[in-house]
Amino acid sequence: MILPVTIGILVAGAVYLMMQRGMVRIVFGFALLSHAANLMLLSAGVTHWRGEPLGGYGTTAEQADPLPQAFVLTAIVITLAVTVFMLALAVIGHNDDTKRMPDTGEKHDR
Amino acid sequence: MNHALLALFPVVPLLSAALTVLMRQTGFDRVFTVGVPLVSAAGGVGLLLLHRTEPVIAHNVGGFEPGIAIPLVSDTFSALMITVTSLTTAVTMTYLAATGEDKYRFVPPLALMLLAGVNGALLTGDLFNLFVFIEVMLLPSYALIAVTGTWRRLGVGRLFVLVSLLTSTLLLMGVAMLYAAAGTVNLAALAGRAADEPWTGFGVALVLLALAIKSGVVPVHTWLPRAYPATSAGVMALFSALHTKVALYAIYRIYATAYGGEAPWWPLLVVAVGLTMVVGAYSTFGERIVRRALAFQMVTGIGHILLGLALFTQVGLAAGIFYMVHHIVIMGALLLSSGAVEQTYGTGRYDRLHGLIRRDPWVAAVVALGLFSLVGLPPSSGFFGKVGLVQATAATGVPWQQWTFIGLIIVASLGSLVALQRLWVGVFFGPDMETYRPDSARTGRGERIALPPHVRIGNRLLAPGAALLVVSLAMFVGAGVVVPFTVEAAASLLDPAAYSQAVLP
Repeated sequence: MILPVTIGILVAGAVYLMMQRGMVRIVFGFALLSHAANLMLLSAGVTHWRGEPLGGYGTTAEQADPLPQAFVLTAIVITLAVTVFMLALAVIGHNDDTKRMPDTGEKHDR
Repeated sequence: MNHALLALFPVVPLLSAALTVLMRQTGFDRVFTVGVPLVSAAGGVGLLLLHRTEPVIAHNVGGFEPGIAIPLVSDTFSALMITVTSLTTAVTMTYLAATGEDKYRFVPPLALMLLAGVNGALLTGDLFNLFVFIEVMLLPSYALIAVTGTWRRLGVGRLFVLVSLLTSTLLLMGVAMLYAAAGTVNLAALAGRAADEPWTGFGVALVLLALAIKSGVVPVHTWLPRAYPATSAGVMALFSALHTKVALYAIYRIYATAYGGEAPWWPLLVVAVGLTMVVGAYSTFGERIVRRALAFQMVTGIGHILLGLALFTQVGLAAGIFYMVHHIVIMGALLLSSGAVEQTYGTGRYDRLHGLIRRDPWVAAVVALGLFSLVGLPPSSGFFGKVGLVQATAATGVPWQQWTFIGLIIVASLGSLVALQRLWVGVFFGPDMETYRPDSARTGRGERIALPPHVRIGNRLLAPGAALLVVSLAMFVGAGVVVPFTVEAAASLLDPAAYSQAVLP
């Protein structure tokens, strides 16, 4: 029961944060959402908290399913990369979500 | 052929991307950015020929047990998609070379990484691996928007990043639910199970919903016409040929394999397909900028492509796949030639451009034939695309389907016809242009100045769009060569058993 409730709270927080205007809050929202997705992946294979999925440690009946753990590892790496990029976007934008765009001397056709 | 060679499709572009990071000569980069997609297209043609004797080939990467390993699978459908997407990428890269955008730091490696992700996503037979390859495809795209961009492009880049990331997370959640319900994310092992097991079906439906957002199906399309036109024309051509079409390929593949027939939520699919066709066509009316109008034409094209899936007969799927091939080629041709106009005259607005038919008759010819193709008039591939869909609908033998779908095709085509006429009249008819804003990829747009008579759209800018248009015309004349491949691709979609047998011997 703990896992579903945690996922629910994480998603609720993520949705709240992503509805905000500032880019940094949206990035935090995405961090929460990706945690929720990772926990969902874990809950697909490790709900009963069985033993480590390592060779030589018990039988396969006692061991956890290693595949979701590999999924989560991959997903975490991807989320990290995208989060860094989005934070960079938030910095480069000079807070243009709430203020006017800085005068860069560029001209646009509209 | 050793089946392990399938891995070369994603690996070669990735390694070339690494090489182009190290080497910084423009000439060297161009050999790779154009050459590698051409090699990939040649590989796709090779696979197409191979699949005449051997319909499905699969390789379990790393030699793990079948079912545990990540499989790379190729059949006629994926080989066809690899050929067309790689060819379009190669042509688009020559356009980026003509505008000078490929001189920006890291553009060549980013484009090659994009190609690697696309080839991987087209070949993989594992849904989690599909998620990874889609991310491999999206990360360079975020950077491509930012690198070739201005401030406004960065702002739109945010929209693109946020929507893509939200969708990817949804896809990941779908994969998690699928794994929890079915115990596997190997597409071959899932064949036909989504129809029998409700929770597996739910996971698959969530994955398909995420892919539908990525491909821009109404009512979750709104990000696409806002995000795409704000990038440069070359980058938009890359995205339109690769991103949405890979998502559509995955929808076709997963729906056909996992359900093996009509899904329980088939009525929803029909409603979405009809809405996409009509809403995309009539939204084109609201636009006064060439590439924004074309973006809505992309949306209506996505509806036409998915109509083949909604019919789910061999003729229907073949018509949908033909339409997809046609749409990739012709959107590339139109986007690149409208990009050439924008690059030369500094604007894509109907009210600022006029009288181009006298100034640049060849551009006018390319755009006119391209617009014919979008609407579905001969002599171009769009004619057979729409005729194929109408014939497939007529062949279903269910009166309400015939009335609804053929009616929707006609209504959408009429809308597109009138809306694109406005584009044509706005840009090519009218008095001669007197002022323009010279466009430079580096400094943005300058002041409005008098247009000297010698400023014309250069041949190097026009050539890529014209080349793709020639492909479209060739598909009209040589439809007899292309159609057998699309029929074969449809047959392989309708036979998930052969797919499963190749992956899990």
